[in-house]
Amino acid sequence: MTDSLMQHLTPEEIELWAQGLLPATRDAHLTQCAECRALAERERKLIRELAQLTRFAPEFGFVERVMAKVKIPTPSGPYFRPHTDA
Amino acid sequence: MEVGEVVKVGGVGEDFIGAKDRPANLTGASDPEVVAWAKQGHEAAFRELVRRYERPIFSLLYRMVRDRALAEDLAQETFIKVLNAIGTYNPQFKFSSWIFKIANNAAIDHLRKRELETLSLDGSPHATTPDEMSATAPQLGDRGETPLQELEARELGGAIEHAIARLRPEYRACILLRHVEGHSYEEIARILDLPLGTVKTYIHRARNELRGYLEDRRE
Repeated sequence: MTDSLMQHLTPEEIELWAQGLLPATRDAHLTQCAECRALAERERKLIRELAQLTRFAPEFGFVERVMAKVKIPTPSGPYFRPHTDA
Repeated sequence: MEVGEVVKVGGVGEDFIGAKDRPANLTGASDPEVVAWAKQGHEAAFRELVRRYERPIFSLLYRMVRDRALAEDLAQETFIKVLNAIGTYNPQFKFSSWIFKIANNAAIDHLRKRELETLSLDGSPHATTPDEMSATAPQLGDRGETPLQELEARELGGAIEHAIARLRPEYRACILLRHVEGHSYEEIARILDLPLGTVKTYIHRARNELRGYLEDRRE
């Protein structure tokens, strides 16, 4: 058996597996190692739960409250920028 | 004309940004483009940056401090600091890394000042007995809550939110930036000013702790 088949997955490899990005050579280890498979499945469940967490919104009017305190620089003229074309 | 395309103005030696490139088209623009417009003084570009990041920044802060009003104050402070310093922004770094760095620093400073890093469900770190821990623990979901507290209890009351709250602040920031906001390990290292190896260790430990807390609750 090769080393890559025998070696337990690292935490980073488990994360890659949870994202479907683990190389096949390492993926094969999971078919043979019940310990890694169980851990990887628990990690995948957790990572999915975290990814699905709500993005909370601040109270209505947040943008206006911020903008009231932001100093906007005055453009020196119309909207110019340096010429960068070749 | 495509977004970002430059319209030449004859003889002036500079290029005029065409009408379609102006803030009306900001929604589809990249962060560096919006920042460049903000630097030129377009109010709409400032608004676009707030619109883009208000939820991610507020969510991170809310989960760090577990207090809606405080998280909103810190989010405002973050945006004001970032937007007022937009002229100093270095485009070599991602704008998102910069704003998350300022937000995280605001949260950590606050937690340190108020010793709110102890705001875990276990209560004060100074508590030495189960009774003291229980007495000092936040009581989400109690009767007699204000509407804001009810909202917080509803939003942060789930098992996963409770588990996140029990992590130490550094682990909490790492896990939120990685698995909620989707930043790379390298970006997190830059945001938190930590060595890459430390970030990897924190994320690994945080996931272990989270799994432990969640499994304890489910048993």
